[in-house]
Amino acid sequence: MSNSRNLRDSDIQKKIDHEIRMRDGACKLLAACSQREQALEAAKSLQTCSTRIMAYMSELQRMKEAQVMQNVPRRSSDAGPMDERLPCKGKVAISDLRIPLMWKDTEYFKNKGELHRCAVFCLLQLGGEIFDTDMVIVDRTLTDICFDNAIVFNKASPGFELRVELYSCCSEDDYSAGSTPRKLASKLSSSLGRSAGKKLRAAMEPGPCSPVSNGGASPLLLPVPSVPGPKYHLLAHTSLSLSQIQDGFRTHDLTISGNEECSYWLPLYGSMCCRLVAQPYCMTQQMMSGCLKVKQCGGDPQSWTNVFAVLKGTSLFCYHRQEDVEANVEPAFTIGINKETRIRASEKDPQSKVQHICISNQYGGEEVTHTLTAESREDTHRWMEAFWQHFYDMSQWKQCCDDLMKIELPSPRKPASITPKQGSLYHEMVIDSTHDLSSTVSDILARRMQELELRSQLGMSPTWMSVFEENDTKPAAFPRQCNSRLSGHSPCSPHRRPLSPASPPCCPRLGLLSSDASLTSDSDSHCSTSPCCHHRGWPEPSLNFPLLSSSPFGLRPRTLSLDAKLSTLRGRGYGGGGGTFQCPCQPPPSSRLSPLPISSRSPLSQRSTQTTLSCSSSTSSNSSSNSEGSHSPESSEGVLFSRPSPARRSLRNLRARLDPRNWLQSQV
Amino acid sequence: MSFVPGQPVTAVVQRIEIQKLRQGDKLILGFSIGGGIDQDPGQNPFSEDKTDKGIYVTRISPGGPADVANLRMGDKIMQVNGWDMTMVTHDQARKKLTKQKEDVVRLLITRKSLEETVSQSKGKNPKPCTYANEKQNLNDVMYTNNVR
Repeated sequence: MSNSRNLRDSDIQKKIDHEIRMRDGACKLLAACSQREQALEAAKSLQTCSTRIMAYMSELQRMKEAQVMQNVPRRSSDAGPMDERLPCKGKVAISDLRIPLMWKDTEYFKNKGELHRCAVFCLLQLGGEIFDTDMVIVDRTLTDICFDNAIVFNKASPGFELRVELYSCCSEDDYSAGSTPRKLASKLSSSLGRSAGKKLRAAMEPGPCSPVSNGGASPLLLPVPSVPGPKYHLLAHTSLSLSQIQDGFRTHDLTISGNEECSYWLPLYGSMCCRLVAQPYCMTQQMMSGCLKVKQCGGDPQSWTNVFAVLKGTSLFCYHRQEDVEANVEPAFTIGINKETRIRASEKDPQSKVQHICISNQYGGEEVTHTLTAESREDTHRWMEAFWQHFYDMSQWKQCCDDLMKIELPSPRKPASITPKQGSLYHEMVIDSTHDLSSTVSDILARRMQELELRSQLGMSPTWMSVFEENDTKPAAFPRQCNSRLSGHSPCSPHRRPLSPASPPCCPRLGLLSSDASLTSDSDSHCSTSPCCHHRGWPEPSLNFPLLSSSPFGLRPRTLSLDAKLSTLRGRGYGGGGGTFQCPCQPPPSSRLSPLPISSRSPLSQRSTQTTLSCSSSTSSNSSSNSEGSHSPESSEGVLFSRPSPARRSLRNLRARLDPRNWLQSQV
Repeated sequence: MSFVPGQPVTAVVQRIEIQKLRQGDKLILGFSIGGGIDQDPGQNPFSEDKTDKGIYVTRISPGGPADVANLRMGDKIMQVNGWDMTMVTHDQARKKLTKQKEDVVRLLITRKSLEETVSQSKGKNPKPCTYANEKQNLNDVMYTNNVR
């Protein structure tokens, strides 16, 4: 008894030592690394190690207490639980965790405000096992936080409690909090802008926003080393138990800690969706096996069949021979053992003095009874014991024993290299000729080149090309304002309808494109498409997709020379390109109602003024666009100029459809 | 025309049957739709409730099949040939309307003026009444749908 306990003690001690070593390693890595991603990963492992250490220490504590209790002489009335039946253990697996977010529509659709990004991961704890998921960077372009990991806990008892904790850490500019002296810190925070200062203050004062990482469960026995760098805070948690197990997806409520003022805050919808399944051992392992004689009720009294029976799951499999079990031969017959089965021991057979075991099942209204005989009384006793245990397990594991639930382990993948972040291109893109551009942008560039070749017959490319070639410099951080955008983008798009790049629809991420669009001509292209494409009537307000084709230019700072180029382009006239350019920034709702009048060819450089004009002339242009609509045949496009090829059109449409900021219209 | 999630939606609807017109190798209806659960409802100029993510008619081609069938701009489409349109994505709606194997679509549409007409003519609680023929009659059909 004490030996096993000592063994367990030393096991746990070893685990604690291991975790302490891991934690030290993580601290060192955190101190040494320079890249934000690495720091976040290291902080995550630090958090995991700390939590594990605390869990092991509390278990150690519990065991020591139990030991002490054991040594105290027990009164007879205390003895009892020793004989109680324990249910079998099982595997519990949780997978496909998905936590929806609830951004304000101003944030999500219109990309207002700064891009607030957080790194999140989940800690899952069951019994003594703690696992963490991969880290995911979340910003407002995501609607859900998805964790693809499938986590399997072995040795879970039916009364388990699976605690899921969501940790998040603000992933923005690194305010290395520890070292700044307080006076300077407060001066800084008061002198910075309101939101930046708030963040800084939150980062520096843990304060009310960062509860003790393990939910304050057990008292800290070891001091957690304070390391400079990103620190994770508990954002939400929930507990799952047997009643939440289902062979399918279910939604559970989350308890959210923290509030909007915290730097690590994310607008959670308040629930979590996941697939929680369990495989009790009674379903997957052989609980009992041995030789039996079986007689079917109603059959010939003397026809006993010798079988090798295996009790597993919801059946008693009866094989002709023991070797058949390993050989995977089909059993001779199967007797169902489930919640409705009744098993009883019959009276002793007067001749052989052996008790029979009768198993009764209801098969579609009929009762079928099998009678079993074991070889000896001890065997009979063992089989009965096994059946009772099996029934007990099934009653404890409840719905998990109806059917075997599948636990799918994801195929082992290589750990994802630091993928290009899901942030906006806007914030991260560094255009450097030596750098490897993210594939999307280079694809776009390549495709633009191709399109340019195609359009060279139209005779406008030369000017445009030269402008394109200047694109070499790092983009400044473009504020999303009309003016800069207006002046900049016009030369990007030839007055003909720029086509959407044939980029794979799945590839461009929302954030990527939104930023591109913000930098590039947006409604220029869409207004020129309006007569010719499906999307009529409603101007695509701000920042939309089909314009991505012009993206390469967005990355270029706008210069005066562009205006000069603009005028040359304008001089060529815009064949059918017309239409108003809506000021994307804050169009008043009424202004959105102005569809694009075909007739007006607003010069590109004066978009802002044109915008107001178009806004005011909404009603008139409304009617004009309606009438315009009648000219063009319903299914075809291109009233005034060459229609883009169907492939491009469909790709552009796909792009347009994928952008939630457009209010799509389709012709039917 | 807004809905409370979980509660049935009730509206006064009109049945409109549109015969598709063949143009080239395609069958067209002659109107445009906007909206859908994947679209931003705030940009819908026709909806009264700016959280309504239903499918609205945004444009009618004059003289087209939809125009002839008395479909009006701003109508909200509730059903197309029995398929629900109150909780669909934009693309799903478009697909239901553009099935090339069907040459007629029967729509259930609702518009504000219908409600007003009904309430004015029949008082507060209009009774549903049957209609004689399938064609474009104003029906006080109470359209009830369980919207999740």
